[in-house]
Amino acid sequence: MSTIVALSTPPGSGALSVVRLSGTNALKILKRLTSTLDFTPRTATLTKLHHPDSNDLIDEVIVTFFEAPHSLTGEDVVEISCHGSPSVVRQVIDASRNLGATLAGPGEFSLRALSNGKMNLAQAEAIRDLIAARTETAAKQAARQATGELSKRLAEFKTRLLDVIVVLESAVEFVEDDLPPTQTNQIKEWLLFVLSGVGALAESYQSGHLLRDGIQVAITGKPNVGKSSLFNSLMERDRAIVTAVPGTTRDTLSETIDVGGIPVVLTDTAGLRQTTDDVESLGIERAYRALNEADVVLLVVDGSVNADWHEAGLNSFDHKTQVVVNKIDLVQYGHSDLPQGILVSAKTGEGLDDLRAAILGAFRGSAIQADGLLVTNARHHEHLQQAKIEIKEALVALDEHRSEEMILAPLHNALRYLGEITGETTTEAILSQIFATFCIGK
Amino acid sequence: MGYDETFDVLVIGAGHAGCEAAASAARLGVSTALVTLNLDLVGQMSCNPAIGGIAKGHIVREIDALGGIMGRVIDRTGIQFRLLNRSRGPAVQSPRAQADRSLYRSEMRRVLEGLSGLYLRQGKVVDLIVRENKVRGVVLEDGREFSAKAVIVATGTFLNGLIHTGKRTYSAGRAGEPASIELAESFKKLGFPVGRLKTGTPPRLDGRTIDWSAFEPQPGDVTPVPFSFSTDILSQRQIQCHIGYTTQSVHECIRRNLSESPLYSGKIRGIGPRYCPSIEDKVVKFAEKERHQLFLEPEGHDTNEVYLNGFSTSLPAELQQELVHMIPGLDEAQIIRPGYAIEYDFVDPRELGPDLQTSRVSGLFHAGQINGTTGYEEAACQGLIAGINAALHVQGRTAFRVTRNESYIGVLVEDLIKQGVDEPYRIFTSRAENRLSLRYDNADERLSEKGRRLGLVGDVDWDRYNARQHRLNRLRSALDEISLKRADVRYAAVAAVLNCELGDKVTLAQLAKRPGVTSELIKSLLPEDLQREMGETDLSTALADSLYAGYKNSYQASIDRLFHHDGLRIPKRMSFGGISGLSNEIVERLERAKPMTFGEARRIPGLTPAALSALLVYLAANQHAA
Ligand SMILES: Nc1nc2c(ncn2[C@@H]2O[C@H](COP(=O)(O)OP(=O)(O)OP(=O)(O)O)[C@@H](O)[C@H]2O)c(=O)[nH]1
Ligand SMILES: [Mg+2]
Repeated sequence: MSTIVALSTPPGSGALSVVRLSGTNALKILKRLTSTLDFTPRTATLTKLHHPDSNDLIDEVIVTFFEAPHSLTGEDVVEISCHGSPSVVRQVIDASRNLGATLAGPGEFSLRALSNGKMNLAQAEAIRDLIAARTETAAKQAARQATGELSKRLAEFKTRLLDVIVVLESAVEFVEDDLPPTQTNQIKEWLLFVLSGVGALAESYQSGHLLRDGIQVAITGKPNVGKSSLFNSLMERDRAIVTAVPGTTRDTLSETIDVGGIPVVLTDTAGLRQTTDDVESLGIERAYRALNEADVVLLVVDGSVNADWHEAGLNSFDHKTQVVVNKIDLVQYGHSDLPQGILVSAKTGEGLDDLRAAILGAFRGSAIQADGLLVTNARHHEHLQQAKIEIKEALVALDEHRSEEMILAPLHNALRYLGEITGETTTEAILSQIFATFCIGK
Repeated sequence: MGYDETFDVLVIGAGHAGCEAAASAARLGVSTALVTLNLDLVGQMSCNPAIGGIAKGHIVREIDALGGIMGRVIDRTGIQFRLLNRSRGPAVQSPRAQADRSLYRSEMRRVLEGLSGLYLRQGKVVDLIVRENKVRGVVLEDGREFSAKAVIVATGTFLNGLIHTGKRTYSAGRAGEPASIELAESFKKLGFPVGRLKTGTPPRLDGRTIDWSAFEPQPGDVTPVPFSFSTDILSQRQIQCHIGYTTQSVHECIRRNLSESPLYSGKIRGIGPRYCPSIEDKVVKFAEKERHQLFLEPEGHDTNEVYLNGFSTSLPAELQQELVHMIPGLDEAQIIRPGYAIEYDFVDPRELGPDLQTSRVSGLFHAGQINGTTGYEEAACQGLIAGINAALHVQGRTAFRVTRNESYIGVLVEDLIKQGVDEPYRIFTSRAENRLSLRYDNADERLSEKGRRLGLVGDVDWDRYNARQHRLNRLRSALDEISLKRADVRYAAVAAVLNCELGDKVTLAQLAKRPGVTSELIKSLLPEDLQREMGETDLSTALADSLYAGYKNSYQASIDRLFHHDGLRIPKRMSFGGISGLSNEIVERLERAKPMTFGEARRIPGLTPAALSALLVYLAANQHAA
């Protein structure tokens, strides 16, 4: 396998940046860069990095060598923590490339980990997301899941679930074995803990899927209020045609922009009005479709004219509608008699930050885990939901004082669903824990 | 080459696997030889004198439903019957019985001698005759050669058996009998991967020297549940077992003398079963436990011998005696036979197909401990499957298999051939994903038709099965159709007893599912003719069905998710060696089996979960790329 190199922390200047090398030559390259002969695996070493040709000092760095297969990728891996300046990072990467490393493609570290059996399916799926990620934040989420963070988060709950299963299985399986009596309260407490943990993760999908698929934002309003102008200024380039003639925009136009790290799919639409023009009415039809599908509808009104903007007939989208009052640069006097809404000028850029914040409101509104880990994959969400249902079922059976096997049936189902994300729990693993916990056997 | 005798099927070893194998092969109409070292020890229980227990009892029922013999033999020779887990749901209840050890032997031999086409032969098999990868027969120690088209090896702990007590070791198949050293060699010569396992037994005591008053009696059930669907009455007089406990001073003494134990001195390399630990293991691994439970199990009506269950040990005999004396109530107790540990060879069961035939040698079948299992029941069911398939093999008929979704036998066989073993394999109910459907009471519904189609279930049994089916069907429709309405006289009384709202109308099947509803209550609500006609077990079977009915769908849904990749196609010219992370052994297995889909790959013996996910990801990634 060739040796790959890449920056593994976010680009830009931070205090520290980490450059990672993986492959058969990783250690050899490190030795050339540092002129050090020996590195103890898994031990951080402070050393100096030089250009291999000129011998100029690049940086004083901390390096750690992970020997195959005990590394992220299952190959030899070297991590170089250098100072977080883009120029230092570039020099480290260039020097590595001079010594035979190739620049890693998107997700390539993870793909290697996968083929070396270092990863489960959930992680593999996250890598797919990673490669397709639309913004930095979305990529970061995908990367967190790719490194198994979702699995790790779930592991805590899965372990508890397993504890419950072990206790109940032992009671069923080893009746002759003088086991301590089952503590129903304890079991219930454990199951409630699992339920809330799994539930919270499941809920994070609401935000997670926005992060993955983007927040759908449709811009609507009467003709000539400045929808296309707003579209362009949010995009920071002239994408849509803008004229002083009402009815300029005929077709819907969508583009993805990055708003505070969240992908936002912005759609410009035809102005809403009665028309006999065939093309324009088709455009208006499309506009309504876009409004239906949107997470957020921006209803633009022209602040410079005293039109009755209520006419727009958008009541059915009220819950997701945000009124935007445009052209405030033309408003001379105080803003007091303007309609309620975010005041902006597409022309001067005034108020655009408020607008961006309002768009993100849709995202912030949904539950976010304390540590910010979001479930972004629809299949994972589905599994978590199913697991939740099964655990609830078990709690009902527990409350009804059902025999253990009837509590266990939904718990095993739940374990299977979680296993779809984190990897299967074999019967062997359950039995091993039983034998480690209880003294079983005549 | 002239053979001394010629058979269709030849079974080596007359333990629990061998007896069942020989009986089923002979009953399928092929001439069958059962060759064993000592014909007086047919069906010997070398460990504790008991059959059944949770999951094991299920298996005996399944053997019986398919037309096997173990259930009938234990029913005729059992001296204490108990249905375990009576307080729990029907799916985890299971029958267990103490056997009269010597009666069991003689009854087993009597049953075998009653089968036409079954020939008992005493002798020691020292070699297998194999040509062109086909088994042809066996060679005996005395030079005789028997020809056979199929050979079933059911040699238990005899392959290279090595007994340990204290620092003493000697070669033996079990106490008092020689090991099969030459035969073990011939497996290695044939290239079979051979490993080593260990098991042990406790000392046996002279019952006359026990102070019984120091122990808590453990009576059998008042209404015992038999193993065989054919058994109406249990004929043996029933006895009591007794329960006692070790003390801290016993534990201390063991810990002081650990160096005397071959387990801890490093002498024993074979891996023992974790669920059947020696007393040495118990006091070391669970040092905080103040006492360990002991069961005093009488070995039979006509003997004073008592089995000290829970005290399996390989400490020196003198020390065993000393320790026994330290147990309250055993102060005077004399050991008749000391406990011991035994190490023996097993052959990797991943060499086998679902018919228990080896893929290496056609016509060669393995059953029982040679496959790494432990337990009489586990052995017997493998004997049954191997016996059936050996006969089918000879007759040129398609192989017989049971699935893990329909039986514990299917679970056991699939686990063995897919996962192999790294410690003696015992069945547990938790090994069966479909546990709620695999009940001891419905083994007949699950398997008897299969047994009948094979030709193993006789006419009398078949008629009884059909009569019961008829009763069950009537009962099930009655439970679904009869309902309790608000206007009914009984409604208020039932609602009051249950202390809950029943709605305007509730069917008996729905009512039965509620917590606290007894089968007596349901029975009292059935029409009188039905009450009269149906047997005790019929109602519990019908009620169990409705109790668990609701769990079927959610189980199926969760399993379907697990197998939703099964349809993924594997390209024809797939080079499995190209998937990084797969071991040579796994690649070899894949290349031999040439699976067309992921589902087929999943069923290949010996594929680890890690290997399967690597394959899955590889397939998924490539499909993505395509
Ligand atoms: N002064 C000022 N003029 C603006 C502002 N926004 C838009 N305009 C002008 O308003 C006119 C219409 O702008 P568009 O962006 O084409 O309006 P629209 O809503 O997309 O119109 P249709 O596509 O026809 O429905 C153009 O002449 C713009 O230059 C603003 O904030 N201030
Ligand atoms: Mg426009």
